[in-house]
This record gives sequence, structure tokens and C-alpha cells, in this order.
Amino acid sequence: MEQKLRQEAKELLEQNKVDWIIGFEPGSLKFTATPLITRDKDDTERLVINPFMVNNLADFLTGLKGRVGIVAKGCDSRSIVSLIQDNKLAREDVVILAVPCPGLIDLAKIEKLVGKDRDELDDITREGDKVIVKVEGKKKEFTTTQVLFDHCLACELPTPQEYDILLGEVRPPAPELEVSEQNIAKLKETPTAERWEFWKNEFSRCIRCYACRNACPACFCQRCFVEETEPQWVMPVPRWQDNLIFQIVRNIHVAGRCTDCGECERVCPVNIPLRSLSREMYDIVDELFSFKSGMDKEALPLMAHYEQEEAEDLFR
Amino acid sequence: MTQQSEWEPKLLGFLCRWCSYAGADLAGISRKKYPANIRIIKVPCSSRVDSLFIIKALRLGFDGVLISGCHPGECHYLTGNYRARRRIAITKKFLEYLGVEPQRIQASWVSASEGGKFAEVVSEVTEGLKEVGPNQLFSERKLNGTKAKAGSQRTTRAEQG
Repeated sequence: MEQKLRQEAKELLEQNKVDWIIGFEPGSLKFTATPLITRDKDDTERLVINPFMVNNLADFLTGLKGRVGIVAKGCDSRSIVSLIQDNKLAREDVVILAVPCPGLIDLAKIEKLVGKDRDELDDITREGDKVIVKVEGKKKEFTTTQVLFDHCLACELPTPQEYDILLGEVRPPAPELEVSEQNIAKLKETPTAERWEFWKNEFSRCIRCYACRNACPACFCQRCFVEETEPQWVMPVPRWQDNLIFQIVRNIHVAGRCTDCGECERVCPVNIPLRSLSREMYDIVDELFSFKSGMDKEALPLMAHYEQEEAEDLFR
Repeated sequence: MTQQSEWEPKLLGFLCRWCSYAGADLAGISRKKYPANIRIIKVPCSSRVDSLFIIKALRLGFDGVLISGCHPGECHYLTGNYRARRRIAITKKFLEYLGVEPQRIQASWVSASEGGKFAEVVSEVTEGLKEVGPNQLFSERKLNGTKAKAGSQRTTRAEQG
């Protein structure tokens, strides 16, 4: 699959079908892949496909001029389609190299299970439904349910629906919603006031680095409301009230664009469970308006569309 | 003298210029009684109300927010209230999940001829707010009544309004 990807990417650049290739190259640390953005055809030799290519590459699309060939997992392709829906991108300006994705491995979960830092692990390999971790000469076996990212467990589209070149076999979706949403379910059981208290505590850790916003392919405003000064909606000082308002409004703004790619939670330096917010918003949108973002490039964006009769029970 | 008996909820109303504002006017002209707890902001259309306004109002200490516009299908701008409906619906559901009492965010359709309905809505919403009590969502107080950690009590421009 990797060979075919390199071949195709090289041809695309050689034949001038694209100006840019976005993909992954091996990272400088163990078990990492880092985004590769290039116009040089020799760089395509470095492209890789592995279970550690965590970034959502769709985030880079709006920053590049010209036609782009992009390596896309299922979630990336949904973000790309969502950008097309919002007219941020023309379909003919992207060449999607589709990679069927069996789910990405969450190193934090492995560290927790093994009790060792990622630097101390010798090897991580995936065999079918098992993930084998080699540490200190011993082999440890885990199920994918134990070590995949939460959002991967809820994946509805492992293989991109929208693509130009398909690499490998189509993978049927096998979502494990119960495991994936266990934190949300737990929160919903607690009383209202305690729930607020929970988020209050979480967001008093927030340092307002805006990594969640910058890693999010759906957050594409030229000017974010948090940086507006007339009126000043929120203070730039990281106090929990303003942190929480920032995140609530960010989630409302990306409602109908959020594809549950889990990037916000992954990039958070202080480990705020942000996916428990974005996933809930994803479910609310689906429940109220039967809308799933990034599934159909012809569909109108959530907030640009309406039905005559909907959500009336919320109004007096 | 207890504080509880003195406390009256503060309700912020965003009323659409074409229907609900005129409806509120009619309520006044026809001498309908409704609680004085509501403070009204006139907006061009219910779809002018950004979710940010709702949250900001709660942040500034309002106990509840009421958004009111024309009935579906009667919007002066044809589709404004349909769009507002989607936005308000997700905001309300999402804030409820976060731990905001659902009574605090209310929405209604009131036409220019429904002065009576406007008075009714405001009374009902105010009653609902009296039940849930004062808005302490963004205050530094913890659940058990003690203050949160020191150093974070500086008042800011955002709090002063």
C-alpha cells in the first residue's frame, strides 16, 4: 500500500496534476508520523502509512494555493467533504488518495496499560484485531478496543466515501459506540449542578493555547470571536469562565461541521476531555436534524438549511 | 429578612423587531400585566441572536434568556426564524448537557397581535426562573458554598459589562 501511495503521489506531481502533496512521513520520535507537505517529487519516497498517522490533514488544505493531492483516512475525507459543503474548497482542486484506516493507536492508552513510557517500548505491531506490544523482550497482547483512540472506536467511515484513488481494500465500519461514549454516558447520569462543576474544574486547567482551534479543520474563521475587542466577548486571560465560554461557543460554531475526528482532544496539552463536548454536539445535531457532517458533498451545510417542521417542542 | 424572599430573577429578552417587540408593545397598550423582571433588547430578527449573546448574558449574571420571534413561516425576512430555530435548539440542548438548567434558556414565537401570549410567556418563564433560583453558573462559589481558589477573583471588564 505504501509503495502504491508513493508511486501515485510521484505521478501526480510529475504529470502536474497537483501542485502539492500532503501526507505523512516518519516522525523524529518512536511511533510517530508527522505531516509532510511538499511540491518536490523526490520527497514522496518518504511517505508512509501506519497506525500512528494521527493528524487530520484536512486542516492544511485551506492554507495552500493550487491543487492538492492529499492522503486521507476516513475522518480526513469527511472533513474535506465538509469543507467542500461550506465552499471553502472546490472538489476539482483536491485529489484524494484514500487510505482505508483500521483505526489509530493511542499511545497514551498503551502507556497506561503497560505502565511504561513510550520511549521504553520496543515495538508495536498490529495483527488483525490484536495489537502486540514488545517491551523488555516480552510480548503483550491487547485488543483494539483497549488501545485505539475513542473516536476511532466510533468511526462510521474507515474508508473515504469520496476519493480519486483508492489504496487497498474497502473496510466496513464496525463502530463500538458504547465504549467510545462511556465518558459521555457517565456524565449524563450525574445531576445538572455537578456536571457544571465537572466542566468548571476541567476548564480551570485550560491555558488557552488554542491548539484545539488550530488543529480543527472545521474552525476556519479568518478572525475568531475570542480575538475581537469591540466588543470584547471574552477576556484573553485564561480564567475558567472565559475558557469555558470559548469552548462552548467554539463547539456551537462548528456544529454541523464537526466530524468527530477527535483532534481537539488529542492536541490538548492539559488533557481536557474535549471530545466529550464535540461528540455530544455531533449526537445532538444528528438527533435533532438527522444531519451527519461530511457524508454527502451535495448536502447543504446544517446552518444554511432548514425544514418546515423541526425542534418545535423546544419553543413556547 | 431573608435574601430569598427579596430575590427577583432577571430575565433578558431578545425580541424580534417585527413580531414579538410589537407583541410586547400590544401587551402594554392593552394593559396586560406581566412581571417587570424582563429587560428587553430589540433585534432585527430572531436569527440575529448569536449563541454567544445567550452565553454572554448568563456570564453577566442574567438568570435567564428569552428569545422571541415571529411564528415559523411568518418571518419578515422569510427564513430568519427557521435558522434561529436550528441555532437555538442546539444551543439549548448543548448547554443542558454542560449543566445549565434548561429553564434558563427559553424561546417562543409571539406575533404582533399576541399581546396576551407575550404576557403569559413572560410570567411562565419568570415563574420557572424563580424555581431554579439565582444564576451562579459563572460565580466563583463552589457547590458547597465556599469560594474557589484565591487569586481568580479580580473583576474584569467582562464582568462589569
